[in-house]
Amino acid sequence: MMVGVIARNTFREATRDRVLAGVVIAGVVLIVSTQALGPLALGEGTRLTVDLGLSAISLLGLLIVLLVGTSLVAKEIERRTIYNLLSRPIGRPAYLIGKWLGLTSALWVVAAALGLALWTVLAVSGHAGQALVVLEAAYLASLELAVITALAVLFSALSTPVLSALYTLGAYCVGQWSWDLREFAHQFPAPLGAVLGAASNLVPNLPLFNMRALAAHGESASPAHLVIATAYAAVYCGSLLALAAAAFESRDFK
Amino acid sequence: MQAITGDREDRSVPDRAPAEACAIRTVGLTKSYRHPWTGKVVSGLEALDLEVSRGEVMGYLGPNGAGKTTTLKLLTGLLKPTRGEAWVMGESIARVESRRRLGFLPEQPYFYEYLNGIELLELTGRLSGLTAQDAHGRARRWLGRVGLGARPQLVLRKYSKGMLQRLGLAAALLHEPELLILDEPMSGLDPFGRRDVRDLILEQRERGTTVLFSSHILPDVETLCDRVAIVLNGRLSRVATVGELVSGSRQRVEIRCTGVPRGEIAPDLRHVLERRDHAHETVFLLDDDSRLNHVIGLLIHAGALVRAVTPQRASLEDLFLAAAGAAADRTEARDEQRRSA
Repeated sequence: MMVGVIARNTFREATRDRVLAGVVIAGVVLIVSTQALGPLALGEGTRLTVDLGLSAISLLGLLIVLLVGTSLVAKEIERRTIYNLLSRPIGRPAYLIGKWLGLTSALWVVAAALGLALWTVLAVSGHAGQALVVLEAAYLASLELAVITALAVLFSALSTPVLSALYTLGAYCVGQWSWDLREFAHQFPAPLGAVLGAASNLVPNLPLFNMRALAAHGESASPAHLVIATAYAAVYCGSLLALAAAAFESRDFK
Repeated sequence: MQAITGDREDRSVPDRAPAEACAIRTVGLTKSYRHPWTGKVVSGLEALDLEVSRGEVMGYLGPNGAGKTTTLKLLTGLLKPTRGEAWVMGESIARVESRRRLGFLPEQPYFYEYLNGIELLELTGRLSGLTAQDAHGRARRWLGRVGLGARPQLVLRKYSKGMLQRLGLAAALLHEPELLILDEPMSGLDPFGRRDVRDLILEQRERGTTVLFSSHILPDVETLCDRVAIVLNGRLSRVATVGELVSGSRQRVEIRCTGVPRGEIAPDLRHVLERRDHAHETVFLLDDDSRLNHVIGLLIHAGALVRAVTPQRASLEDLFLAAAGAAADRTEARDEQRRSA
């Protein structure tokens, strides 16, 4: 119950923040403006719209995580609003999970809104049949945002908003290159290669959630891919939140 | 009723009440902080043994940095103890359950600025275990009780400091806790606000709620408290009723006379007797009432007419300042000893 109460309040906080409304408006404008670029795309207008639209969901979602998510816990400690919460019968893990759940829900609403805007633009241009592809891609992008939010909660619970924003951005970049890192590890002899291989398994496997290229060609992801991505996101988020909770448990609020 | 261990020299605590019988019990509760770079350890609270009975109102006094807020934060789970144990309403403070029957008002409460008063109280009610419906009803009632009911939709960023303090009190009381911990509840309030808070605490006392509160406003503490605990330099210095503290002190006496000849005060009285000559009378202030008869005898013998002898009751403020001064002297002496060693 406590997780739900915290999540609802975090969702309310995020949705009352002007950043969120600004990002949604910017995303919709970007998606609509791809129609203007269509004639310049030499017949690849639909591909451009899908690619840019899905990129907008991922990147604008990342922007929200960096602006809101990375100060999710740190700001509460800085502004001492956390005193009013943790002096009540609520466990610290429940507090962190509630925070993550609240912001993730807000991000999913943003992803749904931008996904709907993208489908509407495609439907107006006569490509309504791409609905399933857009839905799958938006779903995977939402899973990616849930993982990045869990990273932001972990860093925010342990450091300042600025540092946690830098750490989250760093983890996002490394995560995007996790497959390259794995390939890179094979180029090195045993000790260094093993370390790099282990590191590539630890960093978030974000390419797993990227089906922009497939969607741009109108191709769906396989059901197995969707199941694996969902399971991976659940396990990775759970691990990050468990780590955050363990570190947060002994923290003092002076 | 309660065992009191304020003396650090004697750490034995005989016949302690079980934790369930007390609203608050701490045994050797210690908090120290280690600097992350230098490794230097700074003590915030040292081996606190304190018991607060159920239904009691206890004032927790001490100068800034004495360890008052540290104690209250340890009891409410915001700080983790370095050593020692504490129980709140019979539950160890290590357990979340210890905060179920607790209401806490932090010093200068901060709330989410994007919420309005009703939303904030609903949120705190839900977090204290109330149902949504119950929390909504109580939020409306308590907002009115603390004088903020006229504008329930006003967002908190537009609240004044005094309004936030009142809202914080409502948030602490909304779920009708059995134990109320208030950190400087009168801070930032105008005289009307202070009176309202005093009335609320008195009302809670009548309901049987245990109240532990820290304050710098000693007349309020004197009015409200059954007992006071004085903490100095992170150590519990004394726990007693206000009456015990005051009656245990040497009483100051004012003697008003006329016709007192000019002259020096006898050497054996110089450290306890102060003379103030006014236009029509002379006032003597005697620090030790045990020597009153001797002083009056001397005055009569010198030809003075004693017109009034008025005992001056030491206020809690006087006693507190004296205790703080004595503790500062002790610390200075200890430091001096260390330096010379």
